Amino acid sequence: MAQVILKDVEKTWASFVAVARQSLTVADGEFLVLLGPSGCGKTTTMRMVAGLEEPSGGEIWIGDRCVNNVMPKDRDIAMVFQNYGLYPHLTVGENIAYPLRVRGVNRTDREARVAEAARKVELGNLLHRRPRELSGGQRQRVALARAIVRTPAVFLMDEPLSNLDAKLRVTMRAEIKHLQAELGITTIYVTHDQIEAMTLAYRVAVMKNGVVQQIAPPAEVYDRPANLFVAGFIGSPPMNLITGNLVDGTFTAPGVALPGAGTGSRDGVVLGVRPECLSLCAPGDGHMAGTVFTTELTGEAVLVTAQVGPARVIARTERGFAEATGATVGLRADMRQLHLFDAESGLRLPEMASRLPELVPGE
Amino acid sequence: MDTVAGATTTARTAAILAVPPRRFVRLPDLRDNQVKYLLVLPAMLVVAATAIWPLAYSLLLSFRSWRLARSPVPGPFIGGTNYEQAFTTSEFWLSVGNSALFVLLSVAATTALALGLALLLVRGGLLRRSVQSLLILPFAMSPALVGISWRFLFNPEFGLFAAMFGTLIPPLAGINWLSTPALAFSALLMADVWAWTPFMTLILIGGLASLPQDTIEAAQIDGSPAWRILFGIIIPQLRPVLVVVIILKTIFALKQFDVIFMLTQGGPGHATQTLVYYAYLNGFKYYDMGYAAAVSWLMVVPMLGLTFLYIKFVFRRAA
Amino acid sequence: MKRKGGWGRVQDGLVVLAAIVVLLPIVWIALAAFKTSVDVFELKLFFTPTLQNFATIFEPPYLIHQKLLNSAIVSICVVLISIPLATCAAYSFSRFRMRGERAMLVTILATQFVPAVVIVLPFFLMFRSLGMLDTRPALILVDTAIVMPFAVWMIKGFVDGIPLETEEAALVDGSTRLQVLRRVVLPMAAPGIITAAIFAFIISWNEFLFALILTRRDAVTLPVGLQLFNGQEGMQWHLLSAAGLLIMAPMIVLALLVQKHFVQGMTMGAVR
Repeated sequence: MAQVILKDVEKTWASFVAVARQSLTVADGEFLVLLGPSGCGKTTTMRMVAGLEEPSGGEIWIGDRCVNNVMPKDRDIAMVFQNYGLYPHLTVGENIAYPLRVRGVNRTDREARVAEAARKVELGNLLHRRPRELSGGQRQRVALARAIVRTPAVFLMDEPLSNLDAKLRVTMRAEIKHLQAELGITTIYVTHDQIEAMTLAYRVAVMKNGVVQQIAPPAEVYDRPANLFVAGFIGSPPMNLITGNLVDGTFTAPGVALPGAGTGSRDGVVLGVRPECLSLCAPGDGHMAGTVFTTELTGEAVLVTAQVGPARVIARTERGFAEATGATVGLRADMRQLHLFDAESGLRLPEMASRLPELVPGE
Repeated sequence: MDTVAGATTTARTAAILAVPPRRFVRLPDLRDNQVKYLLVLPAMLVVAATAIWPLAYSLLLSFRSWRLARSPVPGPFIGGTNYEQAFTTSEFWLSVGNSALFVLLSVAATTALALGLALLLVRGGLLRRSVQSLLILPFAMSPALVGISWRFLFNPEFGLFAAMFGTLIPPLAGINWLSTPALAFSALLMADVWAWTPFMTLILIGGLASLPQDTIEAAQIDGSPAWRILFGIIIPQLRPVLVVVIILKTIFALKQFDVIFMLTQGGPGHATQTLVYYAYLNGFKYYDMGYAAAVSWLMVVPMLGLTFLYIKFVFRRAA
Repeated sequence: MKRKGGWGRVQDGLVVLAAIVVLLPIVWIALAAFKTSVDVFELKLFFTPTLQNFATIFEPPYLIHQKLLNSAIVSICVVLISIPLATCAAYSFSRFRMRGERAMLVTILATQFVPAVVIVLPFFLMFRSLGMLDTRPALILVDTAIVMPFAVWMIKGFVDGIPLETEEAALVDGSTRLQVLRRVVLPMAAPGIITAAIFAFIISWNEFLFALILTRRDAVTLPVGLQLFNGQEGMQWHLLSAAGLLIMAPMIVLALLVQKHFVQGMTMGAVR
């Protein structure tokens, strides 16, 4: 149980900047998710905390000591790898026991703690099997058990669920969240899946090209994305982003007119509005007009993709929607949930919005 | 296998990201940094002592005159005389010609046969996989044993192959293969091709098996005839492997000694005397050390060229 | 991928033909080992087998057991020396970035391709002046030269295939470097190391030129020993075949064991 602090940490390989110089603090017991696309530096950051990568600059603190020159084994951390990193020549039980074994824990204690860890991840009766005999989900649990058997100060998880099939991912997600809450161990979790980030994190750090774009609790990242990148990355289906201009407070783009979207005039503005904040109405009513490109039934709702001018806009509507492809439709936006961004810099323009978007009650 | 899949995924991901592939970058611990050099040191020393030193020594020797029979120590420095002598001796050029012809024919034959056999075997199934497991046997045989076995097989009186060829091709009945220059050369070729084709076949099977099936299946669905698929899709994609096979076989053909020694001893006359054998004769029959060294080194140059090509190829594809 | 009946049969036939061609010389020699010299001379396919040949080659003047012993000792020593050294080097090449690494690897590879005759000359002269001609240690040293580059590359290929993640997991779990090597890397690389060892053994066992030049009488190995069977009446093929079988048989067994890893080793990863 410790906090993790990165002070002016950066990582470069020759001229390639993997992680730009920045600082980050992970509070004691916090579940921090590093989220971003491939190559954004999230894994590199975590590996520096683990000691598997040497920072090009800056300091890394775990608890109350600087661990820059401390070997991974002495940092009191545990790590779950993307491909599990299990020892194929050892049984499941021996895999889980390994961290204890190399620290000289005696056999009785070892067996007790292994049994306890296995119980927590529901692996009890598989202790004598070898990894190759197990399914993906089971191997994942072995990796988890091996991580918790020592109750370290920090958990590091490198995309642990990305090799599992979709259904299994959902169940394992819940298990990981429950486990972390139960044990209260500071966790740094790396993923490119924004749903994992949203569901698991206390705070999400969205990264791109080695720079943290925004670090905030999931609701804030969802409701107040700091820039275009975060806005487009979080949320599925993704936020609709329409490029246009602000003219006297009205946002205009081909097929779009939203009076009162902002204040003043400005060229090169991107409007962001989430699919669930768009509703369909009769053509002519509403803020946008277009034709239906396609409709998709997701089970609990219908996603309508509409061609509005040159842009394709997704709206989420109820099951009853019956228009066919090619039909003309109108769309109305919830004026309380609009986002405006500068088209060039990508940054959010809070002062241009006539109202701040409300945070969804509950968080 | 999980680990293999994981390794391949990691490698591919690294390639896609154009991030330097992950290696251990250890913490700045002086002891650790030295250890990695220490680990390679013994092996490098052995290589230096047993390959680099002899090569250098041979080179130096090639510039001296030394008849071992006459003097126990190296003779005087004579510059490029040995090399001059080589270039002006007809026997030298004969050996070069033999080497060239041998390499050309054996590489062509081996590659063609190996490709054909690989195409036959890659389909799988019990029969083919059993036969495939036999392919390693010629590799397990000592080349010297191969040479002497084929000498046995071409014995004019009781050689199996001499008899078989004699029956199949009447003009050849009763002829002593190994004392007829052209036939001795053919026998040598046959022995060499027999010894190396299975090995090359295995490599090509590996190459064929790793070809993406998608393009082939797409062509089949499109209705392409089999030969079109073979020449238009399979062979072009197999080119890297074929290059490896050809370069390796060329090198092994140039190096070939044991089979020649046991089969024909370079004869009849000089019919099967290659450059390697010529060097051997000069060094250990006539004991003209300087000259033998020069001839050997003349061979090293093209070999190094081939090696350079091979390395460029392998390093380009790896990582 | 089913073929039409007729063409399929032809293909099957060709496969069988290939198998026959590959096996024929080997089988023929093996058979000859059990024939009397008369049977050999008469090119008989069906004959009464005899074990006399094997008995004969163990007696003077052939004393094949000496050659057998020499071959065995040299090969085993070569493996014992080259494999541990090669493993250390291979691990370092695989896992660490070193200065001059590429040059070293290229050098190791290049020496593989140099004709033996270039290398044997200096060794002949050196051992001669040291009085070490016709000794086993001389052969061991020289055979290690042939085997080492090959072993380094082969083992490196196998170590490359061990995911870095597993080593990192061990490091994070609490192992020191040495523990990682001992508890994780070596067990996982074991099949590869054993394969390389077997290949090294086969190459050393079958080696001819160095043994030919560097031995006379005491340290003669099996392949060179084949020349002994040149009697006054010509080659004694039945005896030679028996000796040949002794050379072949263990190698065939070993080769069949490792044939699965064959391609990876020999092409050094150029073909995946």
